[in-house]
Amino acid sequence: MSEAHYHEDHGAVAGAPLVELVDVRAAYGTIEVLHGINLSVPQGSVVALLGPNGAGKSTILKVVSGLLQPTSGEVRLAGRVVNGASADELARIGLCTIPEGRGVFPNLTVRENLWMATMAGVSLAEVEEIAYARFPRLGERRKQLAGTMSGGEQQMLSMARALSVNPSVLLLDELSMGLAPLVVANLYEIVAQVSQEGVSILVSEQFARTVLGIAQYAAIVLHGNITRVGTPAELEDELSAAYLGS
Amino acid sequence: MQTFLQYTILGLALGGAYFIAASGLVVTYTTSGIFNFAQGAIAMLAVFTYWQFRWGWGWPAPLALLMVLGILAPLLGAVLYQVVMKNLRGTSEVTKIIVSIGVMLGLQALATWVWNPTSSTPRQFQKFFGPKAFAHVGSLTIPWHIIISFGIAIAIAFGIRFLFVRTRSGVAMRAVVDDPELLQLNGGRPERLAMISWAGGSFLAALAGILIQPMIGSAMSAGALTLLVIDAFAAAMFGRLRSLPRTFMGALIIGLTTTYVVAYFPSKWTWSSAFHNSLPMIFLFIVLLVLPQDRLRGATVLRLRERFRMPSIRTAWIAGLTMMIVVFCLKVIMAKTGVNTLTLALTFAIIALSLVLLTGFAGEINLAALSFGAIAVMVVYHFGISGTGDGARTTLWGILLAAVVTALVGALIALPALRLRGLYLALATMAFGVFVSRMVLTERNERELFGWKFTIFTAGQLTIPRPKIGPIDFNSQDAFLFLCAGLFVVIGIGMVYLRHSGYGRRLTAMKDSPAASATLGMSVVRLKLSIFMMSAAIAGIGGVMMAAQVGTVNADRFDIFLSLALMMITVVGGIGYVSGALFAGIFLIAFIEALNLLLKKFAVDYSTLEAIFMFFISAVTVLPATIGITMGKNPSGAVSDIVDGMNLVKQSKPLMITVIGLEAVIWALTATEVITNWNFVVLTLANLILVPMVGGKLLMARAMRGVPKPVPPELIGIDRPFTDEDLAAMDHALNLESVVIPSSTTVREEPANASA
Repeated sequence: MSEAHYHEDHGAVAGAPLVELVDVRAAYGTIEVLHGINLSVPQGSVVALLGPNGAGKSTILKVVSGLLQPTSGEVRLAGRVVNGASADELARIGLCTIPEGRGVFPNLTVRENLWMATMAGVSLAEVEEIAYARFPRLGERRKQLAGTMSGGEQQMLSMARALSVNPSVLLLDELSMGLAPLVVANLYEIVAQVSQEGVSILVSEQFARTVLGIAQYAAIVLHGNITRVGTPAELEDELSAAYLGS
Repeated sequence: MQTFLQYTILGLALGGAYFIAASGLVVTYTTSGIFNFAQGAIAMLAVFTYWQFRWGWGWPAPLALLMVLGILAPLLGAVLYQVVMKNLRGTSEVTKIIVSIGVMLGLQALATWVWNPTSSTPRQFQKFFGPKAFAHVGSLTIPWHIIISFGIAIAIAFGIRFLFVRTRSGVAMRAVVDDPELLQLNGGRPERLAMISWAGGSFLAALAGILIQPMIGSAMSAGALTLLVIDAFAAAMFGRLRSLPRTFMGALIIGLTTTYVVAYFPSKWTWSSAFHNSLPMIFLFIVLLVLPQDRLRGATVLRLRERFRMPSIRTAWIAGLTMMIVVFCLKVIMAKTGVNTLTLALTFAIIALSLVLLTGFAGEINLAALSFGAIAVMVVYHFGISGTGDGARTTLWGILLAAVVTALVGALIALPALRLRGLYLALATMAFGVFVSRMVLTERNERELFGWKFTIFTAGQLTIPRPKIGPIDFNSQDAFLFLCAGLFVVIGIGMVYLRHSGYGRRLTAMKDSPAASATLGMSVVRLKLSIFMMSAAIAGIGGVMMAAQVGTVNADRFDIFLSLALMMITVVGGIGYVSGALFAGIFLIAFIEALNLLLKKFAVDYSTLEAIFMFFISAVTVLPATIGITMGKNPSGAVSDIVDGMNLVKQSKPLMITVIGLEAVIWALTATEVITNWNFVVLTLANLILVPMVGGKLLMARAMRGVPKPVPPELIGIDRPFTDEDLAAMDHALNLESVVIPSSTTVREEPANASA
């Protein structure tokens, strides 16, 4: 499948893709949950995966991050096929994933959590500097166990990792889950800022409004398929249909 | 004062060594979530290996230390993790416990094999710098070994703390326990960290063993050294398997109490040596009693790999009837020794039933089933025998009383651990088992309490006669065989009924999610307590039958290692099934016995190959443990696999008739003594295994066309995806109008209607 042809399929998406999924199928046990996903994230853009519960958004992110190996199809990172690479290998070459729920180690302190981020190849001093500058709250609580902090603070901690490891690709899974709208807005401001630094971002969201403000492209995921890809404006109508079933 | 100081220093050193062993437990538990029951066995193996290098082959101490601590021990830990423990992610606590117990039993059998305990020269293990190296501190004379031990313990304590707090790898090891996946997303390698920690844990175990052995001073014994781990368990529990400072405290308290008991208890108390040996057990028990309650958990156990299908009551009756017929047919052709072995195997199967009930149905763990048997046997011996000499019989009331007493003892043992997770209950029962062996079964002399004279384990052996129930005398071997078989069938069928009852469903619910059960208003504690008591009672009855079969039993019959092996083999057989218990009894007693006899027969028949057959006889001792270790690969048990294989026979009438017909011919030939019993065994195996295989090949073509293996409804969606037929059937069952769920192609075309 040539690249040109590939882009024709998805009309809206242009620019050199940094992350590409080609006909990816994935399964939990014997149950297939992704039935041939085609998607590309152009360099420096924010692509939002939208869809209801259980549609397969998180599974797509798991496949990209290397936590789940696809049963067929290709995952490409900067044009190279990375099927079979483990999540930690991908993490060390610049893929940063913030998983669903809070991406923190509850029994480690804030500082120790940040220390874990240095495995991607930055120094602890650097990580701490960036993290505490952006989130002074974390600086005050560097010796507190992450599990004892509020949901918003925990999400700040996981975002601090995304900010400081200087990734080329950022994967965000349900950033808004269980958080107050104000906190969510705040977090997405940071996402936008990261994006402006040239990081390619793939984000899954159940609640589309917040993320559409910063996304260049969105893909609607339903029953393990991507049913539409387009700019937020193009998808306006279909979105409400996908959620509300008009 | 001099004595006090002397013993305090000794106690600190002993505590230090306990701490080293315990810290190894904490390290491996922290990084892999597996509580390593084999920790003591690793220490034991290291002690024997070190002895071999140092005194067996006369190596210098530094070289021997480097070899054992620097190379072999870490290597063993790393290999254990890579080959065995790595496969245990996503398995239940029971499987994790069983596999590490398998490793423990395997290492122990290996050590007994290599270093024959009955060898004539006693193995002496000396302190560092020899037995006469003393340091003089003030007026005190302290062996250097003691000083070294305590020094190393402190260094290890600080070293581990430094590792876990000040190094990235150490912090990452803690992170692995929190969330291995997240660590991976951070770029860490959880598998490698876990392997390193196992290497470290193994190193610490080996170090502790080499330090402790000369302090104990007795001859090297594989069993005693392996059980040393319980002392470490107690210390590790003190720190809740997490906190190193508290583990250190716990270890020191155990070390000090033990030496003070030795120092200050009057030597005229004959039980004080047994008491000091049992102290760690008592300590462990108290710690379990005061540990704060565990958070009830539900979500984490959802995706287990173990699955047990519940047999229907009809199947249970058919299986029970079949079993009685098979037992009868076997009895007709078997020699007297064969009948004895079969009966003994059935008594063990009854004990194993108690484990199926407790672990398979309720998810709780008892590692000392035979100790409950011992309690029951003592009750029967003292209160349940009528008549004397050859006329002595065990009475029905005696058996019932024994069941009641064991149930009560069971309640007492389970009580502290009921609020805690399965692992703690397992530890409490193991402590109980060792306590019974060390303290109760050593009570051979008459004691007097408030003017009442009694002995507990009279003269070290108890004679239990066969029972007489009502007018029926089960004194003859044949009658007793049928009693045991009947008892197994009755209890087994009763358990299937129980499993189908509301109580059984509540048990399953509790096993799946204690949290959800509690929120539904069930009393989890009462449920656990009742099932534990019931299970203890069955173990008691089985124990009495076992003793009645053997005739005269001594303490070895109730050894904790035998309990552990029985538990392990029951899990291998399938802890969720009554047939798993039968498998355990037959395998552990009859199969191993038969294999031994067969190998010995070969060794005699083919004397040129004797060495090879003798090797295999030794290898058989390691066999059960090896099988236990493989549990990680197939946690649902072997019997379910065999049953799945048999399904083919069940589905095809001609095949079934062929197998049964052939078996009848083989049996008839044996009964008329045309062929020998050995031939019977071989032909039967061939018939049961080969015929379905060959027949299966022939039927394969039809099977390909025909029906796939049916999936029970509760596993649809797990074993295979839902089909349209399933959905239609569900709609029908729920009285719904058929709902059309769009397939993937329709979604692609009409996204707008997709979730309508």
